[in-house]
Amino acid sequence: MVTTQKILQFKQPEKSYDVIIVGGGLHGLAAAYNLARYHGVKRIGVLERRYIGSGGSGRNTEMVRANKRAHETLPFYKESLEMWDGLSDELEWNLMVQKKGLIALAHSEGELASMRMQSDSQRRAGIKIDILSPQEIKKMVPSLDVSDGPALPVVGAQFHPEGGTVHHDAALWGYAKAAGRHGVDICSGVEVTGFTLDGAKVTGVKTNVGDLSAGKVHVAVGGYSSEIARMLGVKFPVVTFPMQVMTTDVMAPFLDYYVASPRLHWYTQQTLKGDLILGGQLDPWQSWNSYTSWEECSERVAAIIEYFPDLAHARVVRSWSGLCDCTGDSAPVMGPSGIEGLSLDIAWGYYGFKATPASGKYCAEYIATGKIPEKIKYFGLDRFFNRRRVREIII
Amino acid sequence: MAFLLNCPNCGSRSVYEFKFGGESKSAPRPDADVNAWCEYLYFHQNMSGFQEEWWYHGMGCGEWIKVRRNTVTHEIAEE
Repeated sequence: MVTTQKILQFKQPEKSYDVIIVGGGLHGLAAAYNLARYHGVKRIGVLERRYIGSGGSGRNTEMVRANKRAHETLPFYKESLEMWDGLSDELEWNLMVQKKGLIALAHSEGELASMRMQSDSQRRAGIKIDILSPQEIKKMVPSLDVSDGPALPVVGAQFHPEGGTVHHDAALWGYAKAAGRHGVDICSGVEVTGFTLDGAKVTGVKTNVGDLSAGKVHVAVGGYSSEIARMLGVKFPVVTFPMQVMTTDVMAPFLDYYVASPRLHWYTQQTLKGDLILGGQLDPWQSWNSYTSWEECSERVAAIIEYFPDLAHARVVRSWSGLCDCTGDSAPVMGPSGIEGLSLDIAWGYYGFKATPASGKYCAEYIATGKIPEKIKYFGLDRFFNRRRVREIII
Repeated sequence: MAFLLNCPNCGSRSVYEFKFGGESKSAPRPDADVNAWCEYLYFHQNMSGFQEEWWYHGMGCGEWIKVRRNTVTHEIAEE
Protein backbone atom coordinates (compact mmCIF):
# COMPACT_ATOMS: atom_id res chain seq x y z
CA MET A 1 0.00 0.00 0.00
CA VAL A 2 1.30 3.41 -0.89
CA THR A 3 1.43 5.89 1.93
CA THR A 4 2.10 9.59 1.69
CA GLN A 5 2.59 9.96 5.41
CA LYS A 6 6.02 11.26 6.36
CA ILE A 7 8.07 8.64 8.19
CA LEU A 8 10.02 11.29 10.05
CA GLN A 9 9.35 14.92 10.89
CA PHE A 10 12.50 17.04 11.16
CA LYS A 11 12.35 19.70 13.86
CA GLN A 12 13.77 23.10 14.63
CA PRO A 13 15.84 22.86 17.81
CA GLU A 14 14.35 24.06 21.07
CA LYS A 15 16.28 26.39 23.36
CA SER A 16 16.91 23.79 26.01
CA TYR A 17 17.32 20.01 26.14
CA ASP A 18 18.14 17.40 28.73
CA VAL A 19 20.59 15.78 26.33
CA ILE A 20 22.00 17.21 23.12
CA ILE A 21 23.63 14.78 20.73
CA VAL A 22 26.08 16.31 18.28
CA GLY A 23 26.02 14.35 15.04
CA GLY A 24 23.02 12.84 13.26
CA GLY A 25 24.66 9.66 12.09
CA LEU A 26 23.98 6.10 13.11
CA HIS A 27 25.82 6.31 16.43
CA GLY A 28 24.16 9.57 17.46
CA LEU A 29 20.68 8.40 16.47
CA ALA A 30 21.17 5.02 18.14
CA ALA A 31 22.22 6.72 21.37
CA ALA A 32 19.21 9.07 21.15
CA TYR A 33 16.84 6.18 20.53
CA ASN A 34 18.22 4.16 23.44
CA LEU A 35 18.07 7.16 25.78
CA ALA A 36 14.45 7.88 24.89
CA ARG A 37 13.25 4.31 24.82
CA TYR A 38 15.13 2.63 27.68
CA HIS A 39 16.19 5.44 29.99
CA GLY A 40 13.11 7.64 29.91
CA VAL A 41 14.96 10.81 28.89
CA LYS A 42 12.27 13.11 27.59
CA ARG A 43 13.90 16.02 25.82
CA ILE A 44 16.66 14.95 23.45
CA GLY A 45 17.91 16.95 20.49
CA VAL A 46 20.07 15.44 17.75
CA LEU A 47 21.94 18.17 15.87
CA GLU A 48 23.23 17.41 12.38
CA ARG A 49 24.97 20.07 10.33
CA ARG A 50 24.23 18.56 6.90
CA TYR A 51 21.65 15.79 6.49
CA ILE A 52 21.35 12.68 8.63
CA GLY A 53 23.75 9.95 7.59
CA SER A 54 25.82 12.28 5.40
CA GLY A 55 29.09 11.12 6.93
CA GLY A 56 30.38 7.63 7.54
CA SER A 57 26.88 6.23 8.20
CA GLY A 58 25.99 6.53 4.53
CA ARG A 59 29.46 5.87 3.17
CA ASN A 60 30.52 2.60 4.76
CA THR A 61 30.48 -0.79 3.06
CA GLU A 62 27.69 -2.28 5.17
CA MET A 63 29.83 -4.99 6.69
CA VAL A 64 28.92 -6.34 10.12
CA ARG A 65 31.31 -8.72 11.87
CA ALA A 66 32.94 -9.54 15.17
CA ASN A 67 36.24 -11.06 14.05
CA LYS A 68 38.44 -8.69 15.94
CA ARG A 69 41.39 -9.71 18.03
CA ALA A 70 41.65 -8.00 21.41
CA HIS A 71 39.89 -9.71 24.30
CA GLU A 72 38.78 -6.30 25.60
CA THR A 73 36.75 -5.63 22.46
CA LEU A 74 35.40 -9.05 21.46
CA PRO A 75 32.41 -9.26 23.86
CA PHE A 76 31.34 -5.79 22.76
CA TYR A 77 31.48 -6.58 19.02
CA LYS A 78 29.83 -9.96 19.60
CA GLU A 79 26.90 -8.35 21.36
CA SER A 80 26.61 -5.74 18.64
CA LEU A 81 26.56 -8.40 15.93
CA GLU A 82 23.83 -10.30 17.78
CA MET A 83 21.79 -7.15 18.35
CA TRP A 84 21.35 -6.60 14.60
CA ASP A 85 19.20 -9.76 14.47
CA GLY A 86 16.42 -8.32 16.59
CA LEU A 87 16.64 -4.73 15.43
CA SER A 88 14.30 -4.93 12.44
CA ASP A 89 11.50 -6.01 14.78
CA GLU A 90 12.44 -3.53 17.46
CA LEU A 91 12.67 -0.54 15.13
CA GLU A 92 9.72 -1.74 13.00
CA TRP A 93 11.78 -1.21 9.88
CA ASN A 94 13.41 -3.80 7.64
CA LEU A 95 17.17 -3.36 8.01
CA MET A 96 17.87 -6.11 5.44
CA VAL A 97 20.14 -7.98 7.81
CA GLN A 98 21.86 -10.70 5.85
CA LYS A 99 24.35 -12.79 7.79
CA LYS A 100 25.91 -14.35 4.76
CA GLY A 101 29.33 -15.12 6.18
CA LEU A 102 32.68 -13.46 5.85
CA ILE A 103 35.75 -15.10 4.33
CA ALA A 104 39.06 -13.42 5.14
CA LEU A 105 41.82 -14.76 2.90
CA ALA A 106 45.34 -15.56 4.04
CA HIS A 107 48.20 -15.28 1.56
CA SER A 108 51.01 -16.83 3.57
CA GLU A 109 51.55 -19.45 6.26
CA GLY A 110 52.49 -16.71 8.68
CA GLU A 111 49.23 -14.89 8.06
CA LEU A 112 47.28 -18.12 8.47
CA ALA A 113 49.04 -18.77 11.77
CA SER A 114 48.09 -15.29 12.91
CA MET A 115 44.48 -15.99 11.89
CA ARG A 116 44.52 -19.22 13.91
CA MET A 117 45.67 -17.26 16.93
CA GLN A 118 42.90 -14.69 16.38
CA SER A 119 40.38 -17.49 15.92
CA ASP A 120 41.28 -18.93 19.32
CA SER A 121 40.62 -15.57 20.98
CA GLN A 122 37.35 -15.26 19.09
CA ARG A 123 36.15 -18.78 19.96
CA ARG A 124 36.97 -18.13 23.59
CA ALA A 125 34.65 -15.11 23.41
CA GLY A 126 31.94 -17.35 21.92
CA ILE A 127 32.24 -16.15 18.34
CA LYS A 128 31.88 -18.81 15.66
CA ILE A 129 34.96 -19.00 13.50
CA ASP A 130 36.55 -21.59 11.21
CA ILE A 131 39.78 -21.96 9.28
CA LEU A 132 39.28 -23.02 5.66
CA SER A 133 41.62 -24.70 3.19
CA PRO A 134 41.88 -23.38 -0.39
CA GLN A 135 39.77 -26.33 -1.58
CA GLU A 136 37.00 -25.50 0.89
CA ILE A 137 37.12 -21.85 -0.15
CA LYS A 138 36.85 -22.83 -3.81
CA LYS A 139 33.67 -24.82 -3.07
CA MET A 140 32.11 -21.80 -1.39
CA VAL A 141 33.34 -19.17 -3.85
CA PRO A 142 33.81 -20.91 -7.24
CA SER A 143 34.77 -17.67 -8.99
CA LEU A 144 37.78 -17.10 -6.71
CA ASP A 145 41.22 -18.02 -8.04
CA VAL A 146 42.85 -20.19 -5.37
CA SER A 147 45.56 -21.50 -7.71
CA ASP A 148 49.24 -20.55 -7.64
CA GLY A 149 48.51 -17.97 -10.35
CA PRO A 150 48.40 -14.76 -8.26
CA ALA A 151 51.67 -13.37 -6.93
CA LEU A 152 50.35 -13.98 -3.42
CA PRO A 153 48.29 -17.18 -3.70
CA VAL A 154 45.45 -18.00 -1.34
CA VAL A 155 46.74 -20.48 1.28
CA GLY A 156 43.69 -20.52 3.53
CA ALA A 157 41.06 -18.33 5.09
CA GLN A 158 39.24 -17.48 8.25
CA PHE A 159 35.49 -18.02 7.95
CA HIS A 160 33.19 -15.96 10.15
CA PRO A 161 29.70 -17.38 9.46
CA GLU A 162 27.83 -14.76 11.50
CA GLY A 163 29.39 -11.86 9.64
CA GLY A 164 27.42 -10.29 6.85
CA THR A 165 25.74 -7.12 5.75
CA VAL A 166 23.05 -4.73 6.92
CA HIS A 167 21.66 -2.03 4.67
CA HIS A 168 23.16 1.15 6.14
CA ASP A 169 20.47 3.56 4.92
CA ALA A 170 17.77 1.26 6.25
CA ALA A 171 19.55 1.13 9.60
CA LEU A 172 19.89 4.91 9.66
CA TRP A 173 16.24 5.58 8.84
CA GLY A 174 15.13 2.80 11.16
CA TYR A 175 16.91 4.44 14.08
CA ALA A 176 15.85 7.96 13.04
CA LYS A 177 12.22 6.96 12.68
CA ALA A 178 12.16 5.05 15.96
CA ALA A 179 13.90 7.92 17.77
CA GLY A 180 11.39 10.38 16.30
CA ARG A 181 8.54 8.16 17.46
CA HIS A 182 9.93 8.26 21.00
CA GLY A 183 9.98 12.05 21.00
CA VAL A 184 13.56 12.81 19.96
CA ASP A 185 13.97 16.07 18.01
CA ILE A 186 16.11 15.42 14.96
CA CYS A 187 17.36 18.74 13.62
CA SER A 188 19.31 18.78 10.38
CA GLY A 189 21.07 21.89 9.11
CA VAL A 190 22.06 22.82 12.66
CA GLU A 191 25.82 23.17 12.97
CA VAL A 192 27.51 23.17 16.35
CA THR A 193 30.17 25.89 16.40
CA GLY A 194 31.21 25.77 20.03
CA PHE A 195 30.34 24.78 23.57
CA THR A 196 29.26 26.83 26.54
CA LEU A 197 31.09 25.86 29.68
CA ASP A 198 30.59 26.73 33.32
CA GLY A 199 34.00 26.03 34.81
CA ALA A 200 34.72 22.42 33.91
CA LYS A 201 31.07 21.59 33.19
CA VAL A 202 29.38 21.80 29.83
CA THR A 203 26.10 23.73 29.87
CA GLY A 204 25.16 23.76 26.21
CA VAL A 205 26.25 24.28 22.64
CA LYS A 206 26.60 27.25 20.32
CA THR A 207 25.06 26.74 16.91
CA ASN A 208 24.33 28.61 13.70
CA VAL A 209 20.75 29.08 15.00
CA GLY A 210 21.73 30.37 18.44
CA ASP A 211 22.87 29.00 21.78
CA LEU A 212 21.12 25.92 23.13
CA SER A 213 21.39 24.81 26.72
CA ALA A 214 21.69 21.18 27.71
CA GLY A 215 22.09 19.09 30.81
CA LYS A 216 24.41 16.77 28.97
CA VAL A 217 26.10 16.78 25.58
CA HIS A 218 27.13 13.66 23.70
CA VAL A 219 29.58 13.86 20.78
CA ALA A 220 29.08 11.33 17.98
CA VAL A 221 30.48 13.08 14.93
CA GLY A 222 32.32 10.25 13.20
CA GLY A 223 35.41 11.23 11.25
CA TYR A 224 35.07 14.90 12.18
CA SER A 225 35.88 14.46 15.89
CA SER A 226 38.99 16.65 15.91
CA GLU A 227 36.86 19.67 14.92
CA ILE A 228 35.03 19.18 18.22
CA ALA A 229 38.37 18.87 20.03
CA ARG A 230 39.43 22.25 18.65
CA MET A 231 36.21 23.86 19.91
CA LEU A 232 37.03 22.50 23.36
CA GLY A 233 40.72 23.39 23.17
CA VAL A 234 41.82 19.77 23.61
CA LYS A 235 43.26 17.05 21.38
CA PHE A 236 41.87 13.61 20.60
CA PRO A 237 44.07 10.58 19.87
CA VAL A 238 43.00 10.39 16.22
CA VAL A 239 44.19 11.16 12.70
CA THR A 240 41.62 11.47 9.91
CA PHE A 241 42.06 9.48 6.71
CA PRO A 242 39.61 8.90 3.83
CA MET A 243 38.65 5.38 2.79
CA GLN A 244 37.71 4.66 -0.83
CA VAL A 245 34.67 2.60 -1.88
CA MET A 246 33.35 1.66 -5.33
CA THR A 247 30.33 -0.13 -6.76
CA THR A 248 29.98 -1.93 -10.06
CA ASP A 249 27.21 -2.57 -12.53
CA VAL A 250 24.45 -4.93 -11.48
CA MET A 251 25.25 -8.53 -12.44
CA ALA A 252 23.79 -12.01 -12.02
CA PRO A 253 24.31 -13.50 -8.55
CA PHE A 254 27.68 -15.25 -8.29
CA LEU A 255 29.13 -14.32 -4.91
CA ASP A 256 27.39 -15.66 -1.80
CA TYR A 257 29.87 -14.44 0.80
CA TYR A 258 31.68 -11.35 1.87
CA VAL A 259 35.27 -11.95 0.72
CA ALA A 260 38.16 -9.95 2.10
CA SER A 261 41.91 -9.92 1.91
CA PRO A 262 43.26 -8.19 5.00
CA ARG A 263 46.80 -8.43 3.61
CA LEU A 264 46.04 -6.75 0.26
CA HIS A 265 43.44 -4.42 1.75
CA TRP A 266 40.50 -5.30 -0.43
CA TYR A 267 37.07 -6.69 0.26
CA THR A 268 34.03 -7.23 -1.84
CA GLN A 269 30.46 -8.43 -1.62
CA GLN A 270 27.52 -8.69 -3.97
CA THR A 271 24.53 -6.82 -2.66
CA LEU A 272 20.94 -8.07 -2.83
CA LYS A 273 20.51 -5.80 -5.84
CA GLY A 274 23.39 -7.50 -7.66
CA ASP A 275 26.10 -4.86 -7.76
CA LEU A 276 29.46 -5.43 -6.13
CA ILE A 277 30.70 -3.17 -3.38
CA LEU A 278 34.47 -2.90 -3.58
CA GLY A 279 36.71 -1.48 -0.91
CA GLY A 280 38.93 -0.24 0.46
CA GLN A 281 41.98 0.95 2.19
CA LEU A 282 42.74 4.17 3.95
CA ASP A 283 44.52 6.71 1.79
CA PRO A 284 48.19 6.86 2.74
CA TRP A 285 48.06 10.41 4.09
CA GLN A 286 45.89 12.45 6.40
CA SER A 287 43.06 14.19 4.56
CA TRP A 288 39.74 15.81 5.42
CA ASN A 289 38.51 15.66 1.85
CA SER A 290 36.14 12.84 0.87
CA TYR A 291 37.39 12.76 -2.71
CA THR A 292 37.73 9.72 -4.94
CA SER A 293 41.36 8.75 -5.31
CA TRP A 294 42.17 7.24 -8.71
CA GLU A 295 45.44 5.75 -7.48
CA GLU A 296 43.91 4.01 -4.46
CA CYS A 297 40.83 2.81 -6.34
CA SER A 298 42.78 1.42 -9.29
CA GLU A 299 45.14 -0.40 -6.97
CA ARG A 300 42.19 -2.02 -5.15
CA VAL A 301 40.53 -2.99 -8.42
CA ALA A 302 43.74 -4.51 -9.80
CA ALA A 303 44.15 -6.58 -6.63
CA ILE A 304 40.55 -7.81 -6.72
CA ILE A 305 40.74 -8.78 -10.41
CA GLU A 306 43.81 -10.88 -9.67
CA TYR A 307 41.65 -13.14 -7.47
CA PHE A 308 38.35 -12.74 -9.38
CA PRO A 309 39.57 -12.84 -13.00
CA ASP A 310 35.97 -12.93 -14.28
CA LEU A 311 35.50 -9.40 -13.01
CA ALA A 312 37.99 -7.98 -15.49
CA HIS A 313 35.14 -6.65 -17.63
CA ALA A 314 32.91 -5.41 -14.84
CA ARG A 315 32.36 -1.68 -14.87
CA VAL A 316 32.83 0.49 -11.82
CA VAL A 317 29.89 2.88 -11.92
CA ARG A 318 30.23 4.86 -8.73
CA SER A 319 32.85 5.65 -6.15
CA TRP A 320 33.04 7.69 -3.00
CA SER A 321 35.01 7.95 0.18
CA GLY A 322 34.31 8.61 3.81
CA LEU A 323 36.42 10.07 6.59
CA CYS A 324 37.80 7.76 9.26
CA ASP A 325 39.23 9.12 12.51
CA CYS A 326 41.72 6.43 13.45
CA THR A 327 43.41 5.81 16.77
CA GLY A 328 46.79 4.14 16.99
CA ASP A 329 45.30 1.02 18.58
CA SER A 330 42.35 0.43 16.20
CA ALA A 331 39.81 0.80 18.96
CA PRO A 332 37.26 3.56 19.53
CA VAL A 333 36.86 6.05 22.35
CA MET A 334 33.61 5.91 24.31
CA GLY A 335 32.71 7.39 27.67
CA PRO A 336 33.87 10.43 29.63
CA SER A 337 35.72 13.30 27.95
CA GLY A 338 37.29 14.86 31.02
CA ILE A 339 34.68 17.65 30.92
CA GLU A 340 31.68 17.13 33.16
CA GLY A 341 28.48 16.47 31.24
CA LEU A 342 30.25 15.85 27.95
CA SER A 343 30.52 12.26 26.74
CA LEU A 344 32.29 10.91 23.69
CA ASP A 345 31.59 8.28 21.07
CA ILE A 346 34.41 8.97 18.64
CA ALA A 347 37.49 7.51 16.97
CA TRP A 348 35.54 4.79 15.21
CA GLY A 349 37.92 4.73 12.26
CA TYR A 350 36.61 2.39 9.62
CA TYR A 351 34.86 -0.05 11.97
CA GLY A 352 32.01 2.00 13.39
CA PHE A 353 29.04 0.76 11.40
CA LYS A 354 28.91 -2.75 12.81
CA ALA A 355 29.15 -1.43 16.35
CA THR A 356 26.11 0.87 16.07
CA PRO A 357 23.60 -1.12 18.17
CA ALA A 358 25.95 -1.79 21.07
CA SER A 359 27.55 1.65 21.08
CA GLY A 360 24.08 3.23 21.07
CA LYS A 361 23.03 1.03 23.96
CA TYR A 362 26.10 1.56 26.14
CA CYS A 363 26.63 5.25 25.37
CA ALA A 364 22.99 5.84 26.31
CA GLU A 365 23.53 3.88 29.51
CA TYR A 366 26.59 5.95 30.35
CA ILE A 367 24.80 9.25 29.63
CA ALA A 368 21.75 8.26 31.67
CA THR A 369 23.46 6.71 34.68
CA GLY A 370 26.88 8.40 34.73
CA LYS A 371 28.47 5.00 35.34
CA ILE A 372 30.75 3.48 32.72
CA PRO A 373 29.19 0.17 31.62
CA GLU A 374 31.38 -2.92 31.99
CA LYS A 375 31.46 -3.64 28.26
CA ILE A 376 32.96 -0.29 27.28
CA LYS A 377 35.24 0.28 30.26
CA TYR A 378 38.35 -0.44 28.17
CA PHE A 379 37.48 2.19 25.58
CA GLY A 380 38.01 5.34 27.65
CA LEU A 381 40.38 8.17 26.77
CA ASP A 382 42.31 7.36 29.95
CA ARG A 383 43.69 4.20 28.37
CA PHE A 384 46.26 6.29 26.52
CA PHE A 385 47.68 7.55 29.80
CA ASN A 386 47.61 4.44 31.97
CA ARG A 387 49.19 2.00 29.53
CA ARG A 388 45.98 0.15 28.75
CA ARG A 389 45.92 0.59 24.99
CA VAL A 390 43.72 -2.04 23.32
CA ARG A 391 45.87 -4.75 21.76
CA GLU A 392 43.96 -4.79 18.50
CA ILE A 393 45.43 -5.64 15.15
CA ILE A 394 44.56 -3.75 12.00
CA ILE A 395 41.87 -5.62 10.11
CA MET B 1 44.11 12.12 -5.72
CA ALA B 2 47.71 12.86 -6.44
CA PHE B 3 49.42 16.17 -6.00
CA LEU B 4 52.99 17.43 -6.15
CA LEU B 5 55.32 18.03 -3.25
CA ASN B 6 58.30 20.31 -3.56
CA CYS B 7 61.40 18.49 -2.33
CA PRO B 8 64.28 20.91 -1.63
CA ASN B 9 66.74 18.35 -3.01
CA CYS B 10 64.83 16.84 -5.94
CA GLY B 11 62.33 19.50 -7.01
CA SER B 12 58.64 19.06 -7.64
CA ARG B 13 57.70 15.36 -7.40
CA SER B 14 54.57 13.21 -7.24
CA VAL B 15 53.31 12.67 -3.72
CA TYR B 16 53.46 8.91 -4.37
CA GLU B 17 57.27 9.13 -4.10
CA PHE B 18 56.82 10.17 -0.47
CA LYS B 19 55.63 8.57 2.73
CA PHE B 20 53.42 10.61 5.04
CA GLY B 21 55.02 11.12 8.43
CA GLY B 22 52.28 12.87 10.37
CA GLU B 23 51.92 16.36 11.74
CA SER B 24 54.97 18.12 13.09
CA LYS B 25 55.02 18.37 16.87
CA SER B 26 57.51 19.49 19.45
CA ALA B 27 58.61 16.71 21.76
CA PRO B 28 58.48 17.19 25.53
CA ARG B 29 61.73 17.55 27.40
CA PRO B 30 63.33 14.21 28.34
CA ASP B 31 62.55 14.78 32.02
CA ALA B 32 58.92 15.72 31.32
CA ASP B 33 56.00 14.01 33.01
CA VAL B 34 55.00 10.64 31.49
CA ASN B 35 51.56 12.06 30.67
CA ALA B 36 53.18 14.71 28.50
CA TRP B 37 54.91 11.95 26.56
CA CYS B 38 51.67 9.97 26.22
CA GLU B 39 49.98 13.05 24.85
CA TYR B 40 52.88 13.68 22.48
CA LEU B 41 52.74 10.09 21.18
CA TYR B 42 49.02 9.44 20.88
CA PHE B 43 47.18 12.75 20.63
CA HIS B 44 47.11 14.87 17.50
CA GLN B 45 45.93 18.28 16.46
CA ASN B 46 44.58 16.50 13.33
CA MET B 47 44.08 19.82 11.60
CA SER B 48 41.45 20.40 8.94
CA GLY B 49 43.25 23.13 7.04
CA PHE B 50 46.92 24.11 6.81
CA GLN B 51 49.34 22.22 9.00
CA GLU B 52 53.06 21.60 9.05
CA GLU B 53 53.82 17.94 8.51
CA TRP B 54 56.62 15.47 7.84
CA TRP B 55 57.14 13.64 4.54
CA TYR B 56 59.82 11.07 3.78
CA HIS B 57 61.15 11.12 0.21
CA GLY B 58 61.77 7.37 0.04
CA MET B 59 61.82 7.16 -3.75
CA GLY B 60 64.06 10.20 -4.06
CA CYS B 61 66.77 11.68 -1.89
CA GLY B 62 65.77 9.72 1.24
CA GLU B 63 65.41 12.84 3.37
CA TRP B 64 62.62 13.79 5.75
CA ILE B 65 61.18 17.14 4.75
CA LYS B 66 58.65 19.48 6.33
CA VAL B 67 55.72 20.66 4.20
CA ARG B 68 52.86 23.04 4.95
CA ARG B 69 49.80 21.43 3.41
CA ASN B 70 46.09 22.09 3.54
CA THR B 71 44.54 18.77 4.59
CA VAL B 72 41.17 19.71 3.08
CA THR B 73 42.23 20.96 -0.36
CA HIS B 74 45.74 19.39 -0.54
CA GLU B 75 47.12 22.78 -1.47
CA ILE B 76 50.81 23.21 -0.61
CA ALA B 77 51.82 26.53 0.94
CA GLU B 78 54.59 28.41 -0.85
CA GLU B 79 57.71 28.91 1.23
